[in-house]
Amino acid sequence: MTTERGGNPTPHVGDRLSGYLDGELTQQQRQRVQLHLEDCAECRRLLDELSAVRARMGASDLSGLPEDRWRENMDESGVTLARGLGWLLLIGAGVFIGAIAIFHFLADPGLGAGWKLLISAFYLGWLALFVSVLRQRLIERRTDRYKDVEI
Amino acid sequence: MRDELATLGNGAHALAIQILGNRDDAADAVHDAFAQVLAQPQAWDHRRGPLRPWFLRVVRNRCIDLLRRRRPAGPAVEVLVAPGDAPDAVLETQQRDRGLQRALRDLPPEQRQIVVLRDYSDLSYAEIAAVLDLPAGTVMSRLHRARLALRQRLESEDDD
Repeated sequence: MTTERGGNPTPHVGDRLSGYLDGELTQQQRQRVQLHLEDCAECRRLLDELSAVRARMGASDLSGLPEDRWRENMDESGVTLARGLGWLLLIGAGVFIGAIAIFHFLADPGLGAGWKLLISAFYLGWLALFVSVLRQRLIERRTDRYKDVEI
Repeated sequence: MRDELATLGNGAHALAIQILGNRDDAADAVHDAFAQVLAQPQAWDHRRGPLRPWFLRVVRNRCIDLLRRRRPAGPAVEVLVAPGDAPDAVLETQQRDRGLQRALRDLPPEQRQIVVLRDYSDLSYAEIAAVLDLPAGTVMSRLHRARLALRQRLESEDDD
């Protein structure tokens, strides 16, 4: 009998016992282990114990979650994907329409330069305020340690 | 593909628990992996092998990313579900599973993963080698060591 690292006994066939248990040996290796098992009560006992460990693992519920959960989970993933695509289309189209509107506004010969400046300042003011508030909200959202606390 | 993926959730979750040590983080990792795979289903090439080991590898990589990003924290807290009005048989199974989970927790992460992949998820040695990025020849010896260690921990658990 030999002793493996960690003090675990590995009599005679060593790790091939696990290979034998899992059906992962070649035919020749399997026959050698079988021959050894016929003569070695200690290896037979170890094989039974490893088999029991395997059976206990196989019969356990390590996840503890119902399988349906993952199906619902994937549906949520689909919704998230669709929502992301929706936002992308919305923002893309908004920028395009905005650019055309600005072009027409600036190119409009019926409106004087003074009026154009005044109207531009009005909208730029709104835009600056919007960006400032949005930035503040995003920073708060990223740094708020209590955002996941449910009241 | 969605139907097949849905059946892999629990095995992937069990593997992620062994890596992250926390059920909720593990569920998040599996959720992220589902989202990643559904966003790019063409990333899986069926000619290069079955879906299960490939998906488990995606989950494992996601877990490793999360571990790298995770800030240093205290030891993971195991949230035990209150047994409530569970019938005796269910209670007994739950207690056995908790004993198994405690025994697994005492093993090094590499041993936990390999034993879960083989004995819980029933992967072949070649598939395990692909998931864990190991040479095929080392799976048997590592698995054997892991099983011996788990057997020892389970004996201690059952004695307590």
